[in-house]
Amino acid sequence: MAETKKWAMVIDLDRCTGCQACVVACQAENNIPINEEKDFLSRRAKQWIRIDRVWEGTWPNVKARFIPVLCQHCENAPCEPVCPVYATYHNSQGLNVQVYNRCVGTRYCANNCPYQVRFFNFHDPEWPDTFWNQLNPDVTVRSRGIMEKCTFCIQRIRRAERTIEGRDGGKVNDQSLKAGNYMPACVNACPTNTLTFGDINDPNSDVSRRARDPRHYKLLDHIGTSPSVIYLKKVDPNAPEEEAH
Amino acid sequence: MTTTADNNRDRVQITVDGPELNSRMVTEQVSRDFFNVTRNYRWLVAILGSVFVIGIIALILRFLDGFGVSERAQWGYYSAMFAFLLITAGSAPLVAVGLRWTKNHWRRPFSRVSELYAAVGLLTILWFLPLMALLPPLEGRRSLWVSDEFIGVPLWWDFFAVLGLVVCGLTLLVLSAIPDMAVLARHGDDGPRARLLRSISGFWRGSQSQWNYHRIGLTALGAFYFMLLIMVQTMINVDFVMSLVPGWKDSIMPAHQALTGLQTAIGLVLVTTFILRATGRYKDFIPMESFWSFSKILLALCLLWAYFWFAALITFWYGRTPTELNVLSTFMFESYRIPFLLNFFFSFLIPFLILIWNPVRKSVLGPTLAGASVLIGAFFMTIRLYVPAFGIEDVTGHTLKAVQPAILPDVLDIFIILGGLAGAALIYLLASRIFPILSIWEVKEGLLYQRVRPLLRSKFLVLGKPD
Amino acid sequence: MQEGKILGYRRINRDLLRGVFENPVKYWAIVLFLGLVVLFAVGAAGFMVNRGIGVTGLNRPVFWGFLITNFVFWIGISHAGVMLSAILRLSKAEWRRPATRAAEVLTIFSLMTAVLMPFIHTGRPWRLMYWVFPYDFSRGIWPDIRSPLVWDPSAVNTYLLSSILFVFIALVPDLAVIRDRSSGIRRIAYSVLSLGWRGTPRQWKLQAIAGILLSALILPVFVSVHSIVSWDFGMAVSVNSWHSTIFAPYFVIGAVHSGVSGVVTVMIFMRWLFGWEEYVRREHIDALGRLLIVIAIAWFYFFAMEFLFGIYGQEGDELATRSLQIFGHPWGWLFLTFIITAFFFPVPLWLFRNVRRSFLWMTITTISVNVGMWLERFIIIVPGLARKQIFTQSWYTYAPSPIEIMIVAGTFALVLMLFLLFAKVFPLIPIFDIKEGQILTDEIKVGRRRVPAVIREE
Repeated sequence: MAETKKWAMVIDLDRCTGCQACVVACQAENNIPINEEKDFLSRRAKQWIRIDRVWEGTWPNVKARFIPVLCQHCENAPCEPVCPVYATYHNSQGLNVQVYNRCVGTRYCANNCPYQVRFFNFHDPEWPDTFWNQLNPDVTVRSRGIMEKCTFCIQRIRRAERTIEGRDGGKVNDQSLKAGNYMPACVNACPTNTLTFGDINDPNSDVSRRARDPRHYKLLDHIGTSPSVIYLKKVDPNAPEEEAH
Repeated sequence: MTTTADNNRDRVQITVDGPELNSRMVTEQVSRDFFNVTRNYRWLVAILGSVFVIGIIALILRFLDGFGVSERAQWGYYSAMFAFLLITAGSAPLVAVGLRWTKNHWRRPFSRVSELYAAVGLLTILWFLPLMALLPPLEGRRSLWVSDEFIGVPLWWDFFAVLGLVVCGLTLLVLSAIPDMAVLARHGDDGPRARLLRSISGFWRGSQSQWNYHRIGLTALGAFYFMLLIMVQTMINVDFVMSLVPGWKDSIMPAHQALTGLQTAIGLVLVTTFILRATGRYKDFIPMESFWSFSKILLALCLLWAYFWFAALITFWYGRTPTELNVLSTFMFESYRIPFLLNFFFSFLIPFLILIWNPVRKSVLGPTLAGASVLIGAFFMTIRLYVPAFGIEDVTGHTLKAVQPAILPDVLDIFIILGGLAGAALIYLLASRIFPILSIWEVKEGLLYQRVRPLLRSKFLVLGKPD
Repeated sequence: MQEGKILGYRRINRDLLRGVFENPVKYWAIVLFLGLVVLFAVGAAGFMVNRGIGVTGLNRPVFWGFLITNFVFWIGISHAGVMLSAILRLSKAEWRRPATRAAEVLTIFSLMTAVLMPFIHTGRPWRLMYWVFPYDFSRGIWPDIRSPLVWDPSAVNTYLLSSILFVFIALVPDLAVIRDRSSGIRRIAYSVLSLGWRGTPRQWKLQAIAGILLSALILPVFVSVHSIVSWDFGMAVSVNSWHSTIFAPYFVIGAVHSGVSGVVTVMIFMRWLFGWEEYVRREHIDALGRLLIVIAIAWFYFFAMEFLFGIYGQEGDELATRSLQIFGHPWGWLFLTFIITAFFFPVPLWLFRNVRRSFLWMTITTISVNVGMWLERFIIIVPGLARKQIFTQSWYTYAPSPIEIMIVAGTFALVLMLFLLFAKVFPLIPIFDIKEGQILTDEIKVGRRRVPAVIREE
C-alpha cells in the first residue's frame, strides 16, 4: 500500500443503465434539496452526480448512451487557483475540497469548471417540513450564496478512517476500509456495479485494477486537468469504433 | 543665382540654442550631398555588394542541400530573415506616415529616412518567393483560411499581399519625394541622375492644387500602407508560424509582431539618422530634440512590448493545457531559451533601462542605442518564432504533443542572414541616390512654423499650429 | 486649434466657479431625479442581498451576467480620465486643458461604482473581508494570490488611490482660489484642503513635478487595471472564447474607446449645465473626435483579431459561442446593435469635420459608442458561458431580472449624481490650467497669414 492515498473513481460505461439510483442516493446522503420542475426549467437544479444522456446514431437506429458525471477531482483543477479565498483546494488525499465557511460566492470556480459540476445556492435550501428530520447529520446544510459540489462523500471516508483507527490501532488500507463502508453513496447505490471507488495509489485496490483496463479514458483530457475519475469506454460490438464523448 | 542677401534672409532657429537656418540652406546642403558620390560611399557599396553575393552563394548551396516541404526544417533561419526584413523595413515607413498624421514638427527630418526603407521591399518580395514552396498543405490543420478549396490560399494571397505592400510603399516613397526631386533636378548638373529626376518629377510645378493633391495622396496612401502592413503581418505570422504549430492559438501574436514592427521602425530610423549625423550631414536640421521626442515613443513601445508578451504568457501559464505548456517550453523556456532571453533583453529590458533615465533620453546617443537594441531584439524574436515553427514535423491535429528540440544555425544560415542584411543596406544606399535622404519640402515647411521667442525671462520655442 | 478668446483672470474665476457658488434650479432638479433612481437601485440591491442571488436571472452555465458586464463597463469608463490627463499631459497636447478634471473625476466615480458591482454580486457580500481585506490572519489563511479576483481589488484600489491623488494634486491651486473667495466654515474647510497654497514659484514647481510624475506612474496602473479585469475572463481555460491571449489589450483599448466617448458626453453636458461655452469649445471636441477615430480603429483591429482567432481555433464550443453571438436569438440583434453603435455608426460620421464640431452630433455618437460598448461586454461574457463545453449538455441562455436592470440603471444615475455633487464643491474645469493655456498662446506669421501657435512647455 502506498504511503499517501489518492482517492479515485472508475466508471464503467458498459455497465451503466442510466437508472439514476446514484443521483437519488447522492441527493439523500448529501442533504441536497429536492429539485422541482421550476429548478430544472430555470437551470438551477443541483445534482452532484448527474447522468448525461447522449443519443448515438440516426433514427431509427438510435441508441441512448449514459455518462454519469460528477466532480472529477482533477489533479490540476481549473477551479482551484481562481478562488480568491481558498474555499476550494486540493487536499493531501487527492480530493478537491470545498470549504463552505470560506466561500464568499464569487462563482468563478463554477465558470472555470469544464465539467459543469459545481452548483450554486441561489436560495436557501428548503425541504418539506417532514423531511427536515431526515437530513444527514454528518453533512453541512449549505446556506444560500455558496458553491457546493461532489465531495466523494468525504464524511464517509473520514468516519471509516476514525472507526478503523479507533478499533485496530490504525491500519487504514483498502481492505480494512472496505469493511468500514467508506464508499460514496452513489457507489453503494449502483445496482450494476458501474462505479468503483478507492485508493488509486494502492496497486492492489479494486479501483487500480479496473483503471488499468485498456478501455480507460478521461473526460476532456486535452484540457490537461488530469481528473481522478476514470471512465471505461462502452464497447458496442455492432457499432464502429468512435470517439468517447 | 544665390546672393549673400538671399542667404541671410528669413533665418530662423528651430531649437532654443540652435543655429539660425533658412530654407535655401536646406536645398543647398541636400543637393551637394546628393550629387557628390564620395569614395567612402563607393567602398561601402563594394563591401556590402560582396557580402550580398556571398549570401547568394550560401543560398544556392542551401538549395542544393534540399528544398521542399519535407526539408523545411533547415529553412527556418531563412524564413526568420524574411520576417525580419518584413518587420523592420516594412514597418519603417510607418514612422513617416504616423507622425505626419499627428502633425509634429520634430518628425520632419526623419520622414524620408523612414520612407526610403520602402525600397528594401524589393529584397523582401524576392526573399519571399522560395518560402512559398515550403509551406505544407492546409489539409488537416488549423489555418486562417476558411477552407483550402478557396482559390490560391494561402500562398498566393500571401504573395500578393506582400507584393501589394511593397508596391504601395514604393508609391508612397516616390510620391513623397517628387517635390524634392523637382528641386534637385534643377540644382544638379546634367548627369544621368539629374535627367532621371527630371523625367520623374518634370510635371511638378509646386502649384497650390499640386500640393493639395500631394497632401491628400500622402495621407491616403499612408493609411492604406498602414492597414496593408498590419494585414500582411497577420497573414504571414499565422501562415508561417502559428498554423505550423498544432494547437497553438495565440490571438495576440500578430498584434505583438505588428508592435515589434513599430518598435523596430523607430529603431531603424534612429540608427540611420544617427549614422547620417555621424558622417557630418544635416546636423543643424536634425536637432537633439527630435531624438528626444522619439525616445518617449520608443519607451512607450518597449513597455507595450513587454505588456503584450506578458498578456500571452500569463494566459498560457494559467491555462496549463498540454499544448500551452509545450508551446511555452519550446518557444521560450527550454529549446529556444537563449534566443528568447536575448529577445527579451534587447527588445525590452535594455532599451527600458536606457530610456527610463532622463539625461540619457535627452541626448542623441541614448535613444540611438535603445533603437539599435530594439533591432537586435526583433532579430532574435523572429528566430525564436520562425525557426521552431519550421522545425515541427507533424503539423496536423489540435495539440502540440511534445517540446520541440532546438535547431541551431549552420555556417550557411549565418552567411544567408549576413547576405540578407547586406542586401537590404545596399538597396537602401542605392535608393538614397535617387531619393534624397532628407525630406527637403518637409524641413522647409518646418522652418515656417517654428520660432524661438522670449517669454518672461527665458527663450522658448513657439510652434505654429496651422489647423 | 486655438480659437478661444483671451479672457481675463477675473472672468475665468467667475465662470469656472459658477458651479460652486451658484445654485441653478436645473442643477438641483437633475440631482434630485438621479437621487431617486439611485434610491430605487439601492432598494433593489438590498432586496438581492436579503433574498440571495436567486432573484437575478443567473443560472448554471451563466453564473455571471448583467452585474459583471456593468462592472467591466464602468471600469472601462474609468479609463478615460487617466488616458486623457496623463497621456495628453505628457504629450503636451494643448486641447486637453478643459477636459482633464472632468475626465479624472469621471474616473474616480465610475471606479467606485464599478467596485460595488462584484461586491454585491457575490453570494455572501458580508464575507468580503475574507477576500478584499485579508483580515483573517489569525487562521493563517490569506487570500489566494493566484486568483485573478485577488489581482482585481489590488489593481482597482491602487488605481483608485492614485487617481484620487492625481485629482487632488491638480485641485490644490484651484482650492486656494475658492478659499480666497469663501467665508466661515467653508473657508476653513478649503484652507485645510488647499494645504497652505500661496502660489509661490517653488509650490508651482513642486505641483508641476508631482503632476508629471504621477502622470507617468499612473499609466502602468491604468493599463494593469483593465488587463486584470480582462484576465478575470482570460484565465478561465474552461471557457474557450474567454481564454484568449489578446484579451488584455483588447479590453484596455475598448475601455479607452468607451471612456473617451464618455468624457466627450460629460463635457458637453457640463458645458450645457454650467454655461461654459467659452471653455469647452468646438476645437476641443474636434480634437477629441480625431483621437476617437484612431482609438476606434485600433479597437476594431483588436476586436477583429479576437473574433478571427476565435474561429481559427475550430473548437466546437468556440464555434457554438460565435454562432450564438451572431445568429442566436436575441444575441444576433444585440450583436448587430453593438457593432453598429460602437463602430459603424459613429466612426464614419467622425470623419466629417462638421460632425466632430457639432455638439449635438458628438453627444449622439459618443452615447451610441457607450451603448455599443456596454453590449460588447455583455456579448463577450454571457455567450461564452452559455456555450461552455460541448459535452456538458448544459447550454442555456440568460435574461436579466428586473432587479438586475434596476441596479444597472442605478449605477448610471449614481455616477452622474456623484459627478454633479463633486461639481458643487470643486470646479470641474481646472482654473489654473486654463490660465496657463492662455499664457502659452501665441501667433506666428507665415507670409501674410497669421497662424495660431503655442509656446512649448519644457
